Amino acid sequence: MISQQLNDTITRIGPKTEAGAVLRCYWHPAALVEELESQLPIPVNLLGERLALVLDDAGDLRLVTRISAIGEPAVFYPDSTEIKIEVTGPTYPVMVKKGIAFAYLGNGEAPEFPNFDCFRADDTHVFAFKGLWECNWLQALEIGIDPAHASFLHRFLKDDDQGSNYGKQFRDKVAQTSMPMTQVLREYPRPDINVEETDYGLKITALRHMDNGQTHVRITNQIFPEAICIPMSREMTITQWHVPIDDENCYWFTLFTSFKEPVNKELMRAQRLKEHKLPTYAPLKNRENSYGYNPQEQADETYTGMGMDINVHDQWAVEGMGRIQNRTREHLGRSDKAIIRYRRILRQAIDAMGAGNRNALPMQNGEKIKTIIGPLSNDAVAPTENWSGASHQADLERRAACPWDASV
Amino acid sequence: MTQQTPIPAEEFIDAPTGWVRILDREALEIARPLIPVVLNGQRLVLFRDEEGELGLIGRNCPHRGADLCYGRLENNGLRCPFHGWHFDRTGQCVEQPAEPEGSPMYKAIKVPMTPVEERDGGIWAFLKDGDTT
Ligand SMILES: [Fe+2]
Repeated sequence: MISQQLNDTITRIGPKTEAGAVLRCYWHPAALVEELESQLPIPVNLLGERLALVLDDAGDLRLVTRISAIGEPAVFYPDSTEIKIEVTGPTYPVMVKKGIAFAYLGNGEAPEFPNFDCFRADDTHVFAFKGLWECNWLQALEIGIDPAHASFLHRFLKDDDQGSNYGKQFRDKVAQTSMPMTQVLREYPRPDINVEETDYGLKITALRHMDNGQTHVRITNQIFPEAICIPMSREMTITQWHVPIDDENCYWFTLFTSFKEPVNKELMRAQRLKEHKLPTYAPLKNRENSYGYNPQEQADETYTGMGMDINVHDQWAVEGMGRIQNRTREHLGRSDKAIIRYRRILRQAIDAMGAGNRNALPMQNGEKIKTIIGPLSNDAVAPTENWSGASHQADLERRAACPWDASV
Repeated sequence: MTQQTPIPAEEFIDAPTGWVRILDREALEIARPLIPVVLNGQRLVLFRDEEGELGLIGRNCPHRGADLCYGRLENNGLRCPFHGWHFDRTGQCVEQPAEPEGSPMYKAIKVPMTPVEERDGGIWAFLKDGDTT
């Protein structure tokens, strides 16, 4: 439980807020490149500001301030022809990386991009998509650094064969075994969670000790301030930002990064377009239609009764908390270890900014940022007495077989 | 028995403090006996457990606030689909399957409950003033 005042401090991100000042030290996904291929300008609603992505006189993409009507909905997407630019308003630099236009809304010089796998992989090996969640960004992030929930929220009461599971989370077999990931999650629901601070944020290790002296090791990451990097399948990782639109809405932007084979972007895009409505990328399953909830399915097949798409489960969990989770009523447990640690580094960052010490924030230290690689995100099964070394080795083998430079 | 429904629509009731008939008994005679109700602005979940008794408890899980009206009605109580925390009809947490084996934390966790009873073919609740605590 935290005070209402602290909850406000860590969740609200408008231009004059403390957490807003921390977030404005970083690049944020503003739009998918596929959005601006068909029209420009396009509206961008980001960090409580009403903006538009335009081409400037030099032919570069830039974010400019957009004139908005009082009471304009938070998720508003006017047509190009209806966008009016506020010529005296703030403007911000934009940089395109792997299908996402990133924007920097902060003061002074923008930081370098770290050399994460999602940025250094070949374009053929990275696919970008986004989707709307109607809630505050922090609860959206917190579900991504909560390794225990996968054993419940994403539980499948039956394991399906792995034939048609390309591009889907948790549907692979676990490396070095014939056990589906779904079975491991279901049978071992109490992971030991270790959290380490790193130069990019947090490294989170969830250990599920299985029978026969084997341990399932899942390594995920929090990338400060609002992203995660997690394994999706043996072949792919997910790097996902939870970008505030305003205090009560956010977009997830994901870079799906493939190690060995190029990503089948057409298939990945078609799978996701079936679940979302353009131009806002609002999910078709939502609060209004009870997320497609089916009590019979909840009894027989899935834990939620909301279908096989785990994105919908996460969306239900975070939207059901209310627009901004009331953390004065929460009761965090051992499963929330990474969430507790994350809030601590966010508060430290807020304090550092208050003291005028921006360099104390993660990844704000100039040239060194480019030397940050990885991060390691992997599922592996290893002998319990050597889980750390064996998990690392499994990741190295995957990286060695990769056509782009994935060395660590 | 009526058809499988998704979540029934929320029932909104505002009334002075005291016992109030909030629903007909038949309202809960559905395949999944659970209805979200809002009493004097308080969001609650009404459900019937396997012993046939009623529970009327707060709508948000005390862990991280997930919406319990999508809970799993099982093991004579309501289980949050987020981390499996299980509550009996009084709102008492009886199990936390993601916490370490042997952890006593669940004993201190309780969802606020509103007194509820059945009589004269109706479901009655004891309403408090319309605060949001
Ligand atoms: Fe999840």
